[in-house]
Amino acid sequence: MKNLVKLAVVASAAAICLVACAKKEPPKTEPTAEPAPAAEAAPAVEQAAPNADSLAAEQARLEAERLAAERARLEAERARLEALINQIMSEDVYFDFDRSELTEKAKELLAQVGELLIKEERFTITIEGHTDARGTEDYNFTLGAKRAMKVKEFLVAYGIDAKRMESVSYGKEAPKVEGANEEAYSQNRRANFRVNIKE
Amino acid sequence: MIFLKNKMNLMNSVLRMTAVAFAVALLPVASHATIDTIAVDVGISVFKTMPIGVVPFAEPKGAIEWIEEKPHQIVTRDANLSGRFDVVASDKFNLPLFSKAHAKHYVTGKVTPVGGKLKLECYLYVAQTKDLLLGETYTVEQKDLRRAMHLFFDEVIYRLWGERGVASTKLAYVSKIDGIKQVVVSDYDGFHRSQITRDTTISMMPVWMKDNAGLYYVNFKTHRPKLYSKMFGGSEKSVFPQLDQTYSPAVNPKTGELLFSSTVDGKTDLYIGNPATGKAKKFAYLKSNQTSPAWSPYASEVMFTSDRGGGPQIFVMGKDGSDLRRVTFMGRYNERAAWSPEGDRIAYTSMDNGHMNIYTCALDGSDIVQLTNNAGNNEHPTWSPDGKLIAFSSNRSGSYQIYIMRKDGSNVTRITNSGENTSPTWSFFYEAIKQQKKEGEK
Repeated sequence: MKNLVKLAVVASAAAICLVACAKKEPPKTEPTAEPAPAAEAAPAVEQAAPNADSLAAEQARLEAERLAAERARLEAERARLEALINQIMSEDVYFDFDRSELTEKAKELLAQVGELLIKEERFTITIEGHTDARGTEDYNFTLGAKRAMKVKEFLVAYGIDAKRMESVSYGKEAPKVEGANEEAYSQNRRANFRVNIKE
Repeated sequence: MIFLKNKMNLMNSVLRMTAVAFAVALLPVASHATIDTIAVDVGISVFKTMPIGVVPFAEPKGAIEWIEEKPHQIVTRDANLSGRFDVVASDKFNLPLFSKAHAKHYVTGKVTPVGGKLKLECYLYVAQTKDLLLGETYTVEQKDLRRAMHLFFDEVIYRLWGERGVASTKLAYVSKIDGIKQVVVSDYDGFHRSQITRDTTISMMPVWMKDNAGLYYVNFKTHRPKLYSKMFGGSEKSVFPQLDQTYSPAVNPKTGELLFSSTVDGKTDLYIGNPATGKAKKFAYLKSNQTSPAWSPYASEVMFTSDRGGGPQIFVMGKDGSDLRRVTFMGRYNERAAWSPEGDRIAYTSMDNGHMNIYTCALDGSDIVQLTNNAGNNEHPTWSPDGKLIAFSSNRSGSYQIYIMRKDGSNVTRITNSGENTSPTWSFFYEAIKQQKKEGEK
């Protein structure tokens, strides 16, 4: 049941986000755009039955709308942060073949991510470890797990609460780039970030 | 490449080439196969095969509209794939031909339409005397013809070898369908494929339950690799949901328990659990990461991969976690051991120069034999339950497909043709052959 509610909220948030994103308007225009349809819809209900019950219902409806709008803003913020982090992290190769140690460049980039996460306390993150296409499915799961863990350890050392981060391995199952050459391989040896709204 | 070619093996190859030349000519896709070895003293002999005559089944002229292969064609394919026979094909009984090829026995039969079905009378004869060694009758719909012929051929193997054959066994593997990896099952020869999972997320790593009742596999529907079970014709169940990131399942062939990997906080360990009760516990307490477990045939020991040396290497230990020792030392990437049903060797995948190839070795890591070479990547070896064959996936044709070869690397035969097919695992033997026979028997 809880999941259903959550799903509905996420779905509506995503829909609003889609509209907002499609328009490519700056976020500040959202608040003015939002209340307009609500104001139009509200009087119709009140005229029909201006009693306590409908008033409460109306208040609940407005409150739900306010929450949904807030949720949508948070979701948009979440998506923006996720895109930003993954953008930062895509700037360089940061694992060597069959290795899970972070390269110096990777550490620089992760420090930028760390700064973002310190500022954005409303979010938790999932760190996905990935490998290139070479090797077995099984071993690549363990390798991806080690990579995700190295990233998490770095961020903990940088000052991010370990409770805000979980790690998962995708092995070689979710390549960023298809192809059987070093260029594709190097881009696929990566950690990817999913940003989640704190519960 | 640092592998030494062995002169003995070249000779062996020549001998074998002569022996199987005829068989190879009949196969739809038959690549050359040579054995390249690292150790000079190999100790593996030429595969012993038995010549067998195959004569087309008698049929009333034009009465049957064949939609698939005819009975003698199915027998021929089974015989060639089995790793036990060389087929001596003849349009009719031909004693001089059979004698010359040392075929002491031959298979033939009769097929007649009976009320929408086919009545199959299958016979195994002694060539010299024409004595009947084995006769079986099946009445089946044409779509079940292959199944009936596989059952008959396993009877032939039992009669001539005193061993159980694998013509009636199946393979589970992963097939990319509409861009998503799904688990499928087919007969061991690649025919009669059926899709087991229909998810929008990746399914992979299928293994067979004991008694072939269903499969365990990994799915990503929760955004994490997790083990599921599915009985054939039943619904999917999550197994060991209390554990995070579960994969690399291996079924204990004696008890049906599941040995698998679980990754918690970046550390991967082996766990053992009973899927029926859902209870699981850590199998071994080691500092290294462990994955790809494989049971010995009698479940007394376990092979697995550990990264304690940096890259993956194969280790073995007792089922109680005792007596740990390293098995592979050659090369920097040896992974995913599969224990032969005879118990004497393991097949595994090794990476060199970015290419994956299949090797076998003795249990102490000696006597290494390279089974594939210079043909793309070759991965995920799985033994046939009779220990004669190894199925694997290879991208030698450009896309990943499933192949079967003899355990010495010869007679490589492709059994899938389209899409991308990977990660085969061979079923156990199918029990109670007699009970599966169709009606119409004497």
